[in-house]
Amino acid sequence: MRYSRFGVLALLVVAAIVLPYAVGRYTIHVIDVTIIFAILAIGMGLAMGISGQINLAQIAFFGLGSYVTAILTVQEGWGFWTASVLAILATVAVGLLVSTPALRVQSHYLGIVTLGLALAFTNWLTNTELTGGAEGISGIPVPSLPGADLSSEYLYYYLEILAFAVLLTFGQFVVRTPLGRRLRAMRDDPLAAGAMGAEVPMLRMTAFALSSVYGGLAGVLYAGLIRYVAPETFSIANMFLLLAMVIIGGRQSLVGCVVGAVGLSLVREWLVDYPTYAQIAYGSVVVLTVLFAPTGLAGLPERIRGVYRRRRPASASRAVLRPFQPYDDAGERAAAAAPALEVDGISKNFRGLTALDEVTLSVPTGEIRGIVGPNGSGKTTLFNVISGFYKPTGGDVRIDGRTLTGASSYRLAQAGVARTFQNLRLFPAMTVRENVLVALDRTRTRSIWRYAVWQPGVWLHDRALRREADAILERFGLADFAGALPPALPYGIQRRVEIARAMARSPRLLLLDEPAAGLNGDEVRQLGEIVRSIRDSGVTVVLIEHNMGLVMSLCEHVTVLAGGRIIADGTPGEVATAPQVIEAYLGDSMDDVLPAEKEVRS
Amino acid sequence: MTQTVTSTDDLVVEGLTVSYGGVRAVRSVDLTVPAGKAVGIIGANGAGKTSTLRAVMGLVPRSATTMRWGSLDLTKVPARDMVRHGVGYVPEGRHVFSGLTVEKNLLLGAYSRPWKAETKQALGEVYELFGVLGEMRGRLAGALSGGQQQMLAIGRALMCRPRLLLLDEPSMGLSPKLVGEILAVLQRLSAEGLSLLLVEQNAKLTFEATSSCLVVENGEVAMVGASEELRHDPNVRRIYLGL
Amino acid sequence: MQVFVQTLVGGISLGAIYALVAMGFSLVYRTMGLVNFAHGNVVMIGAYLASTFYLSVRLPFALAMIVAIAVTGLIGVIIERVLRPLENKDFDLMLIGTIGFGIVLDALAILIWGATGRAVPSPVRSAPLDLLGIRVRTYDLVVLAVAAAATVLLVLFLQRTKRGAAMQAVAMDHEAATAVGIHVGRSNAIAFVIGAGLAALAGGLVGPLLYVSPSMGGALGIKGFAGAILGGFGSIPGAIVGGIAIGVLDSFAAGHFQGYSELVTFIVFAVLITVRPTGIFGEKTVNRA
Repeated sequence: MRYSRFGVLALLVVAAIVLPYAVGRYTIHVIDVTIIFAILAIGMGLAMGISGQINLAQIAFFGLGSYVTAILTVQEGWGFWTASVLAILATVAVGLLVSTPALRVQSHYLGIVTLGLALAFTNWLTNTELTGGAEGISGIPVPSLPGADLSSEYLYYYLEILAFAVLLTFGQFVVRTPLGRRLRAMRDDPLAAGAMGAEVPMLRMTAFALSSVYGGLAGVLYAGLIRYVAPETFSIANMFLLLAMVIIGGRQSLVGCVVGAVGLSLVREWLVDYPTYAQIAYGSVVVLTVLFAPTGLAGLPERIRGVYRRRRPASASRAVLRPFQPYDDAGERAAAAAPALEVDGISKNFRGLTALDEVTLSVPTGEIRGIVGPNGSGKTTLFNVISGFYKPTGGDVRIDGRTLTGASSYRLAQAGVARTFQNLRLFPAMTVRENVLVALDRTRTRSIWRYAVWQPGVWLHDRALRREADAILERFGLADFAGALPPALPYGIQRRVEIARAMARSPRLLLLDEPAAGLNGDEVRQLGEIVRSIRDSGVTVVLIEHNMGLVMSLCEHVTVLAGGRIIADGTPGEVATAPQVIEAYLGDSMDDVLPAEKEVRS
Repeated sequence: MTQTVTSTDDLVVEGLTVSYGGVRAVRSVDLTVPAGKAVGIIGANGAGKTSTLRAVMGLVPRSATTMRWGSLDLTKVPARDMVRHGVGYVPEGRHVFSGLTVEKNLLLGAYSRPWKAETKQALGEVYELFGVLGEMRGRLAGALSGGQQQMLAIGRALMCRPRLLLLDEPSMGLSPKLVGEILAVLQRLSAEGLSLLLVEQNAKLTFEATSSCLVVENGEVAMVGASEELRHDPNVRRIYLGL
Repeated sequence: MQVFVQTLVGGISLGAIYALVAMGFSLVYRTMGLVNFAHGNVVMIGAYLASTFYLSVRLPFALAMIVAIAVTGLIGVIIERVLRPLENKDFDLMLIGTIGFGIVLDALAILIWGATGRAVPSPVRSAPLDLLGIRVRTYDLVVLAVAAAATVLLVLFLQRTKRGAAMQAVAMDHEAATAVGIHVGRSNAIAFVIGAGLAALAGGLVGPLLYVSPSMGGALGIKGFAGAILGGFGSIPGAIVGGIAIGVLDSFAAGHFQGYSELVTFIVFAVLITVRPTGIFGEKTVNRA
């Protein structure tokens, strides 16, 4: 497989080098413009497809890059390359500024803010003297390159193709390394991503910064190619054309974005005499893509493969869930000073409904605690407060003695809290290995600067993470499923993946929300072994469960919630026979249930 | 309710299976609600009770060997048409329309019928059944307490004069006193000939409100029998509390 | 002082138009959770249709508007029906789907009516009135009256009719709505059509105020959208307040900053939104969990 990939790549490289010799002046011009749009599309793909941020300002970034270059060279007399550096910096600055709402608001708000910027930008361009108004700015000097006259579009092509290659490679590098995985996790499930240590607001800004770099660079190249900038190139119509390229090509794959850019440019050229028909065409294709092929053209091969696999009964895949390999025993540890988890008078109100009422409990380090209670008793609300998904209305939460009430799930993840979810929140578009890799990554967001300056460091870090991930997958018996996507896996295996992912955080406190739900007897037994081993390795485990058999055999201490309050707190034996517990569950007292037993005893 | 809504149709379900996300929530369950009778489904959480009820209502994809209500094949009826055929549904967690008034909520219960004299009469009957709703008819449903919302949800389902009422955990989160009131309402409805299929975690309430019961565990029927007998069976407690 | 009031008054009639557009946005968002990016294009189509029926077919202005609203309502039906499989399932994809429709509508407009715009004369030919020293165009009063009437009708529909109540119920809890027999798809279609109708009304009214061109949809859409968000996305009173606020803001910006006016309006809006993302009345929409 790898050889044919290299072969194709080599062929493409040769074709790229040879191309200018085979085409005429008009065609090379079209190709040059197409490459610029391909770069823009990659930038959009990074924001929209990889990070899930709707970015409709890309055309404005494009315009900024072009116009700043134009203004600095034509009106201030700067050299082209110096001007271009400043142009890119200016674009990124605006990109970051535009994304500051991203710290607080969600996708469609971003969409409107970005679209608003695009419109305001064009309006500003057309009306200001600085930008030459509707006439634009002409006479941009040819970028100087010793030994080459870049006014030739043929030679300019080589500059562009080189830039494109670097930018595509960098884009792929980002996607396949920790930053890219965090961005994709954020796209798939921002809540779960936060719980796995991804600082979502910062990542949103990063997505915009990346997108704007590509936009600015494309703008610079455009200014150097056409050497004339005017507002109509940066219109909303072109923004939507760009969007169509990314959607049709497949926004989740950078190569798909390039395919979309090339494809639509070709269609536009073919229909150059009928631009309106072309627009109807690609508008309709966007609608069709959204309905029938949400992953775009780039996603088609996978879908075809999927259909093929479904036709032929599963013969090839003999992936097997291996047994769990227990952790090394942490041995006797001196009792820690502070309990692993302290919940102190926590209350939570939702618009008049009291979900939690002054709940207080304390879990010493190294215990397996069960939290049980009838439906609607507030168990999951309690978990959500402890793991930072809800802010309590009152009370405090202390982890290892540190007060972390109201901290975000990201900060709690950093503090050593990991959790699984009642309804399974694995990242559906990422492989099992990638799910684990995201959780393994414990670097802070600020280490992103290494991407710009010291890529080998990132590469080494990625390799180290992969080794650790393989070890974890091995331990949990998931090695065969490393490359699978979660939705394709049987439920029991997905549950195990979620636990493996949570353990990848090396947490001090593990919260399991109904880990046995949907599991059969055998799987429940295995779950019990896994949880015991996790505890033996030094992790405190708190679990919500309805499977009473599991709770009774696994937990050393059980807390019973009902109606938002604690009604019992003790060993499993004590709790199961406490009359108020029986009443809460069965609505009954002991007497009604056991008259037969009573008779026998007397 | 003054108007007789005596049901003459049996609800017969055989081989009901519900799976989502790769989980078999309900594995080949059989149940019958004879005309005019009340049947309960109890069990621990996650056992598949709610999924069973939602499957009967058509809110989740399901497959069954048989699923009929009288002579009507329910597998062919979409959820929104159930109320037209005389099946009322009280969802788990109340699900009242919180931004609308109590009266608007109730009127919407009669959505599938033209809003005229019959609706007015049904409204009066619901207010008679649940006095407190009459007092709060102009209040927003979201401002009601849990118990009041539960009554509203039941009242809303009664507006269309159903012949079969499906209830999902009506006692959830309610105080014992309110649970008693709900029980009284259910018993009264039963006495008037309404068929009931009641899903509950509260076994005691169910035994008193129904004539027969299914105990569900892990998506399967673990026990089935007359409520009077099940209420003294220690196996029920074992299924709930694991000991 | 007089200039201040004049600018204020001048901004209100455009503000009323933005309010109509904003109401359409908010209604669809509140009932379907969908941000309809084709809304602005529908406004533009409405403007073109109304002006065509008024100028070429020579219908009375009011009748031309009604026909325009009917035709755009049909467009709304088509869009909702096509995108229905995505309803309540994937909101982002649906949003992109509406962008696709917007692109098609834009091209259709150019095909049918050409790329150059047209000016629409005011249907009310009388000299501007003089109220307490402020110049008020008669047409502005017409716009305000029609917008107010439309708002009242919409509110009455939502509060007093069965279908209106059903639409609100679907927005609050679509499963419970299904359980009482409401056809969620149809209800959403009606919401969408009303939204399109409001857009067409806004478009028809705005013809004599602005130059009708294919690109007007973008500007009006954005301003209407901003108004909806400012007032609290999904709230009808919010849309009215927000729309008028944007109109007034626009008027002041144009007076002081001329060419930079859009940029200024945008910046003020962006700042307000960052400070209070849910807007004045708070966001109201379906449960997207």
